[in-house]
Amino acid sequence: MESWIQRLFLSALLLGLTGINSSAYAQDDGSSDDDELEQIITPDIKRRTIKEDDLDSENFEMGIFYGLLSVEDFGTNDVVGITFAYHITEDFFVEAAYGMSKTEKTSYELLSGGVELLTDDERDLSYYNISLGYNFLHGQVFISDKWTFNNHFYIVAGAGNTDFAAKDYFTTNFGAGLRFYTTDWLALDLSMRGHSFTHELFGESKTITNLESRLGLSLFF
Amino acid sequence: MTIFGASQQQKHSRISSLIGRLFASCLLLAGQPVLAQGWFSNWFVAQEPLQVSVDEAFINVYSGPGRGYPIFHVVEREEIITLLKSRTEWIKIKTRRGIVGWIKRDDMEFTLALDGSKPEFPDSKQADYLVDRFEMGAAYGDFAGADSLTMNIGYRFTKNLSAELRYAENTGQFSDSQIIAGGILFQPFPELRASPFLSIGGGTINTYPSSTLVQTEDREDNLLQASLGTYVHITGRFFLRVEYTNHYIITSRNTNDEVNEWKVGFNVFF
Repeated sequence: MESWIQRLFLSALLLGLTGINSSAYAQDDGSSDDDELEQIITPDIKRRTIKEDDLDSENFEMGIFYGLLSVEDFGTNDVVGITFAYHITEDFFVEAAYGMSKTEKTSYELLSGGVELLTDDERDLSYYNISLGYNFLHGQVFISDKWTFNNHFYIVAGAGNTDFAAKDYFTTNFGAGLRFYTTDWLALDLSMRGHSFTHELFGESKTITNLESRLGLSLFF
Repeated sequence: MTIFGASQQQKHSRISSLIGRLFASCLLLAGQPVLAQGWFSNWFVAQEPLQVSVDEAFINVYSGPGRGYPIFHVVEREEIITLLKSRTEWIKIKTRRGIVGWIKRDDMEFTLALDGSKPEFPDSKQADYLVDRFEMGAAYGDFAGADSLTMNIGYRFTKNLSAELRYAENTGQFSDSQIIAGGILFQPFPELRASPFLSIGGGTINTYPSSTLVQTEDREDNLLQASLGTYVHITGRFFLRVEYTNHYIITSRNTNDEVNEWKVGFNVFF
């Protein structure tokens, strides 16, 4: 019993010494004191060179989104999708997105009774695109006295394909959104996209712009 | 650390002494947060914090990784800061007092590593992306009237030579097609900001004629590609790529097809 109390006492004493010593060391910063005791009890912090590669970089972003996609003549439906982005500079990023939705019967199909323009499978819509984005109006929002969050707006423009009615349509997209960072690696995304393509489903060539509003969540890694 | 290690080596038979030691070491660790951090982080990450000291009157600390975010703090000369991570041209730091913010990557120039050396934060130049690099890119083009989207993944073996895989989707009024191809790319002057390249490759093209047209079959043909183009270095790892490709489609019909395509896109090197 005695021995462990002694040991505890000694440990505490040594701890105290370490504390005093390291603070003393911090004060006279860099003076080479060759005290043997110090050599024993100073934790050996490796003083190393710093290279950029040692630092973890977080330039990629992966996200999911949910929203509403309005397809001209074919109704407004839920859309879900994923995004993958690479941030080139603080201003520019490239983003790849994939989304899936369903469409409804056109008014003509409903009114005419039995006419079906598309089969069920053909009513499924999916799209992908690659866009270039630009971030602007960086700032902070203040939720309360203590909570502040970073946010910024962005615009994107790009191109891709829409798979709809058993055909691929070359699609251009424009969009804008608001990013709200809960932490620096988790962002909420509230945005709008317009997807434009030309189809000939009704006999004549028709260019349509499908508006999409969405709410997303993305992780930076 | 040393004390801890030394006391570890001593043999004890009694449980009470063990508890005593644990208690003491808890005290020891609690009393020295830096040591505690080092001790515990060793279990999870084999890395010690990257620390530098400020070697300039002050460095601005921003609330986020962008010049539009407010400067809410400054770190002063000789203050030691811990580098946490980077995003684009920004570095997230933590001060001794626990204040977390972002500094410009360029401001690393005004810091010193704890051993007194300059931290190595080289400006990424075009030359850094010439050897042993993966590249990924996307391009938009005009494929004989159809809109084409091409994606490519490549690997640059030497300064002049790289291999790449290409996937393209062409959507036109009369037919859609997909191309999967591989190719070799040769760059005679890789150091130039606008560096021209030559490429040859081959693959297959699948053509799906539009269903609204008269009965035509889907078909798969082989194709050969010859391209001439140029990389233009924009910034860091980001390159613009402009390309003119001649596709020679070897069909099963009497005549072979030839399609010329203009493409413009961007490539990122890793």
